[in-house]
Amino acid sequence: MAVPQKNCSNEDCNYRVDGKCVEGYALEECPHISSILVEEIEEIEEPESAPEANPIISLFLGEALSREKASELQRKSRSRAVSIVGPADAGKTSLVASIFDLFQKGPFATFNFAGSSTLIGFEKVCHDARAASRRDAPHMERTIAGAEATFFHLDLLSAQSDLVSLFISDRSGEDYLAAADDISRADEFFELRRADVVTLLVNGEHLTMSENRHEVKATTPQIVDALVEAEALRQGGRLAVVLTKQDSVVASPHTVRVQKEFDEIVDAIIQHHGEYFSDIGRFSIAASPREAEEVKRGEGVDNLLRYWLLAAKTPTASRSTESGSTRMIDLLDSFVKEAT
Amino acid sequence: MSHGHPSVSIIGLPESGKTTLLAAIWHMVREPGSVTALKFDGLNQGNYEHLNGLAKRWRAAKKQQRTQTSGLKVVRMNLKNDVGKSIEISFPDMPGEDFSRMWEKRELDESMGDMLSAEAIVLLINGDTIKFPTWIVEQNAIAKGAGLPPENAEVVEWSAELAPTQVQVVELLQFLMSSELSVGPRRLAVLISAWDEVKGDGMDPEEVLKVKLPLLDQYLRSRRDPWTWHVWGVSAQGGAYEDQDNGEQLEETEALRQLDRPSDRIQVVDGKKVSTDITQPLNWLIG
Repeated sequence: MAVPQKNCSNEDCNYRVDGKCVEGYALEECPHISSILVEEIEEIEEPESAPEANPIISLFLGEALSREKASELQRKSRSRAVSIVGPADAGKTSLVASIFDLFQKGPFATFNFAGSSTLIGFEKVCHDARAASRRDAPHMERTIAGAEATFFHLDLLSAQSDLVSLFISDRSGEDYLAAADDISRADEFFELRRADVVTLLVNGEHLTMSENRHEVKATTPQIVDALVEAEALRQGGRLAVVLTKQDSVVASPHTVRVQKEFDEIVDAIIQHHGEYFSDIGRFSIAASPREAEEVKRGEGVDNLLRYWLLAAKTPTASRSTESGSTRMIDLLDSFVKEAT
Repeated sequence: MSHGHPSVSIIGLPESGKTTLLAAIWHMVREPGSVTALKFDGLNQGNYEHLNGLAKRWRAAKKQQRTQTSGLKVVRMNLKNDVGKSIEISFPDMPGEDFSRMWEKRELDESMGDMLSAEAIVLLINGDTIKFPTWIVEQNAIAKGAGLPPENAEVVEWSAELAPTQVQVVELLQFLMSSELSVGPRRLAVLISAWDEVKGDGMDPEEVLKVKLPLLDQYLRSRRDPWTWHVWGVSAQGGAYEDQDNGEQLEETEALRQLDRPSDRIQVVDGKKVSTDITQPLNWLIG
């Protein structure tokens, strides 16, 4: 006899054995019969013992560093601190990303990659310029306005020198621009006061556009004015003024005009603040060009990196700038001669 | 962890050939007539089921099963060097996923941390699957040159596993020198595996490291972290092994089986020198 596959909740009933209801009900009328098949009831497995939690070791996060963590690392080795200042879309993130990515192909600007505690941070900012993002053009996320500055870290080694740790600060461009409206905002820019080189970005693409060029020419010196006025920049430090997006400049019909106007911006800064800084250098870069036909990826970044990593010197280079030599190679030569 | 004996940790991302290496070593040191720097020195009371199982699949030219993520195993071999000195070497057999987890989740189990405390490290990098970064601007230039239209694909958001191989490997080595896992200076044997696939490029192992993994090459050469390192090219299989669990049958695999000695499948390249002695890197590590 086939055993019925229904359950009876009456303990006195042998329905499961003989298929008969002890109370004489017809199957469909019995109040004790469950409609659930025995096989459908899940067995609850009692764990033999609670699994022991395996203790976890947390590793360093690899993200851009906090102020405190950067300070801790800076104390451990010879270091250079660099701050990048510029309006939104001037190319800050592209510059940071390109420096790391240029080392992915080998030694760069006579330096060798020796390590980094912010590889995750670099990878994040590099992603949108890489083919893995599946984008059709390089893209860079803006740094969030109002957030405290963080630091990217690279240990670099040159054939001529010891290891040097490079710390590049990252803060929203909007925050720096706000200092031009309200210089009390500059008090919060701790990263600028500790910077060996403050790097001021001038959006080259905007200088090619009639709608934006006058704004760029007006506001760039004003940012420096405000930061100097607020004593947010270390007196005797170096200032690099950088024309970004050289690919857009070269592709525009106004290449000569843009270069001339950029030079005027730098000259104005030198005129007003030449005494404040030990040196003011000028650079042109294409950190993450949209097209690689006219300029190559990372063009000019090598000169800027070498400038960042030069040892702090007396203000000789300012004099060379003022005497008319604006070629970066002349500035670098003067530093090299001083060093040797 | 070492219990007075040399301990060698084999590390590498998933599919880098860690288990195959162990299988090939275990077979070769016991193969009659094989010429190796380190030789078999007898069994002790240990359990060799795991190692024997690995070697059995290797001899049959079957793909190894993925190392299970639970129940980390430590395998031990009694070997002796060329002056007859006995050496017991222990190898934790850790799944590659655990190393991916270190990169992606920034954590590891304490038990794995113990297993990574060896002063001698074998780093395996699959030379045939190195993920190198490519840039949109350069990809577009190639596509434009070839007259191809721009690809209209959905944007892929950042995630840690997209990182280039060399970035992940550098981080792995930095982890081993970080305060959480540091044991001081260590020796590192960098093995570029799947050498049978890589050698067609005509480069020796150091050149492959420099050309295909330049960030790792710079990191090691800078000596910021106290690694004493050397690089080999290794083919522990000699060619493709069949995935017989999926019914795969390959002529290439059958050709490998036709060799008189299974160890003839092995290639170990040190500079321009080529041999079948897969114990060379171990001998250097514990030397």
